[in-house]
Amino acid sequence: MSFLSKITDFFEYLAKRHRLLPWVFAYVALIPLPFILSALFNEYLIDLVNRICLFILLAVGLNIVKGFCGQVTVGHIGLYAIGAVTSAVLSLEPGGFGGALGFGWPIWLSIPSAVLVTACAGLIIGLPSVRLEGAYLALATLGLGESVRIFIAVTPALGSSTGLMMIPAPSIGSYTFDSFTSYYYLVMTAALVGIYFSFSILQSATGRAFQAIREDTIAASVNGINIIKYKLLAFVLSAIYAGLAGALFAHMPPGYLHHNNFTVIEMVTLLLMVVLGGIGNVWGGVIGAIVVAIAYDQTKDLVFYFMDRPIVIQPLVFGLSMVLLVMYMPRGIGGWIEDFQRNRRFIRKSEERASGSTRNT
Amino acid sequence: MALLEILNLSKSFGGLQAINNVSLSVKENTVHGLIGPNGSGKSTFFNLITGVYQPDKGSLIEFNKVDITDKPAHFIAAQGLARTFQLLRLYGELSVLENVMVGYHPHTKYGLLAPLFMGSEVRRQDKLVKAEMIELLEFIGLAEHAEIPAAELSGGQRRLLALGRAIAMRPKMLLLDEPGAGLSPVNVDNLMATIMTLKERYNLTIIVVEHILKVVMSTCETISVLDHGQKISEGNPDFVKNDPAVIEAYLGKEMADDDIRLAMNS
Ligand SMILES: Nc1ncnc2c1ncn2[C@@H]1O[C@H](COP(=O)(O)OP(=O)(O)O)[C@@H](O)[C@H]1O
Ligand SMILES: [Mg+2]
Repeated sequence: MSFLSKITDFFEYLAKRHRLLPWVFAYVALIPLPFILSALFNEYLIDLVNRICLFILLAVGLNIVKGFCGQVTVGHIGLYAIGAVTSAVLSLEPGGFGGALGFGWPIWLSIPSAVLVTACAGLIIGLPSVRLEGAYLALATLGLGESVRIFIAVTPALGSSTGLMMIPAPSIGSYTFDSFTSYYYLVMTAALVGIYFSFSILQSATGRAFQAIREDTIAASVNGINIIKYKLLAFVLSAIYAGLAGALFAHMPPGYLHHNNFTVIEMVTLLLMVVLGGIGNVWGGVIGAIVVAIAYDQTKDLVFYFMDRPIVIQPLVFGLSMVLLVMYMPRGIGGWIEDFQRNRRFIRKSEERASGSTRNT
Repeated sequence: MALLEILNLSKSFGGLQAINNVSLSVKENTVHGLIGPNGSGKSTFFNLITGVYQPDKGSLIEFNKVDITDKPAHFIAAQGLARTFQLLRLYGELSVLENVMVGYHPHTKYGLLAPLFMGSEVRRQDKLVKAEMIELLEFIGLAEHAEIPAAELSGGQRRLLALGRAIAMRPKMLLLDEPGAGLSPVNVDNLMATIMTLKERYNLTIIVVEHILKVVMSTCETISVLDHGQKISEGNPDFVKNDPAVIEAYLGKEMADDDIRLAMNS
C-alpha cells in the first residue's frame, strides 16, 4: 500500500507542475516496453500487449455507456466487428480472395471512416435504451451485436467463413507498421489517448449528466438533463472507442480477421474486464482489461481430458468467474481504488487539521 | 401576477383518478401550501407539473407564460421550475458537490462534446461553477462534506442536499414535496427557516407539500387542500383551518396521527 501511495504521490506531484505531465511521463515510460519484453521473454508477448491495448480501448469505451451512464449493453463486440470489417473492406484492394469486397482506400482514410460508420451503428444499438431497461435492454443489444457477427459469417463479401486476409498495414511515408513492435506504438498511443479522453468526459458536465442518469434517471431529467440525448451520446462515444479498436485490430499484423473474433465469448470476456474493473472506474477498467486479457491468453489452450475426450474449459471458467465476481466483488478493483483514494483524502484532511490546530495553540 | 397557472389538470392511473380536474394559480414571490391526507394526490400533482408524468387530455399547465403541459421534464426544468422529491432521489454515489453541480446542469455553457475538443474551456468554466456551488453548500451548511458521497450523509443532511440541488438550478419556482418528512419538530422548524432565507436570497416562488399542518399554516400565504385527487378547499390559513370540508377530509380519515389532530386544533 505504501508503494502505491508513493506512486500516487509522484503522479500528483507531476500533475501539480502541469496537468499533462503524468500522461507524458506514462507515455515515455511505456516506450521501451517492447524491447524489455523481447529481451526478457519473446516477441509473442508484444502481440499480447497489443491485444491488451485494444481491449483497454474496448473496455474504457464500454465503461462510458455501462459504467458512467448505467446502460446495459451486450452488443459492444458487434460494434468492434463493424469497425474492423469496415476498415478492412475499405482498405483492401478490389478483387481480393474469395470474393471479398475491396475499395482500395488509403488506410488513414479507411480508419476514420470505419470509426464514423461504427458511431452510427452505436446510435442504432443505443436506440432500444430509450425505451428499455435492464435485462430487456441486454437482450436487445445482444441480438443486434450477434446479428452483426452472423451477417459477417454468411456474407462472402465480408469474409464469411474464410475471413478477410492480407489486410494492409498502415504506413507513414516509407515507414510501415507491420511488426508487433511498430504496431505497439500505434495501439499504445490510442489506448493512452482513449483513457485520457474518457477522463475528460467524466470530469465535465457531460460526464456528470451520464452519472446522474445512472444514479436516478427521473431526478436527472428533472435536473434538466435530456435523458434520450445523453443516453444516445454515451452509446455513440463508446461506439467510437469500439470502432477505433476494431479498425486497429483489422490492420494489426498478420492483417487477418475472422468472425470468430467477435463471438459472445469475446463479449463475456469484455464484460468480465469491466465488471472486474468495477463499474464506472476508469483505472479499474484498464486494470481489469490487462488482468482478464492475460488470463484469457493463458487459459486459451487449457484442455482437460475426461474419459480420453478433450474438454476446453475456458468458456466455463470465464462464465463462472463472472458470476462469482458479481456476487462477491460487486465493486471490483475500482472499489479498492476508491477506498484507497478516500483513505488518502481522509489522512490528508486529518493531517491538515492536526497541523492547523498546532498552529493555533 | 400568476407565475404558475393550472387549468383542469387530470390524471388517471387505470381506473384510479389520482388528480381530478384541479385548477390552481400561484402568484409570483409567494409561498403556497398544498395539503391533503396521504394518497390524496399531492406527489402526483408535482409529478404532473414537472413532466415526470404526462397529464390527461384537456389539462393545461402554464409556467411563466409558457405552455409546459406536454413538455418533457428537462425542458420544464430549463424554464426555471425546480423540485425536490418526497424520497429525495439523490445521486448516492456522487459526491455532495457533484450532486449540486448536476443541479446546475441547465446553465452549463459549453456543449456536450466540448470535453473532447475544448478541454481548457471546460475546466475553466467548471472551476467557476465549483466555486459558486461551494458557496451554496456553505450557505446550507454542507460545505464541510462536499467530497463525501451523498449516500453517506445523515438523514437531515440528505434533506438539505436535496434542497441545495434544486436551488443550484437557479429556479424561479421551487416545488417542495414534504421537505421535513422524518425530521424532528425542531429540525423541521430549522429547515423551514432555511427555506425562507433561501426564498428571500434567490427570489423564489414556492409550493410546499407538508402533512405537518402547523408548518404550512405558519409559512404559507395561501393553502390548497386536496382530497381524493380533488381540490376541496383553498384560501388563507385561517379560512382553510376552519373550513368544514377540510376538517371532514382529515378527521373522516380516522387519523392515527396525533400530530395532525394537534395541528388542526392549534
Ligand atoms: N405511477 C403510479 N401508478 C399508479 N398509481 C399511482 C402512481 N403514482 C401515484 N399513484 C396513486 O395515486 C394516488 C395519489 O398518490 P400520491 O400522489 O403519491 O399521494 P400523496 O403524495 O398525496 O400521498 C395514490 O392512490 C397512489 O397509489
Ligand atoms: Mg406524497
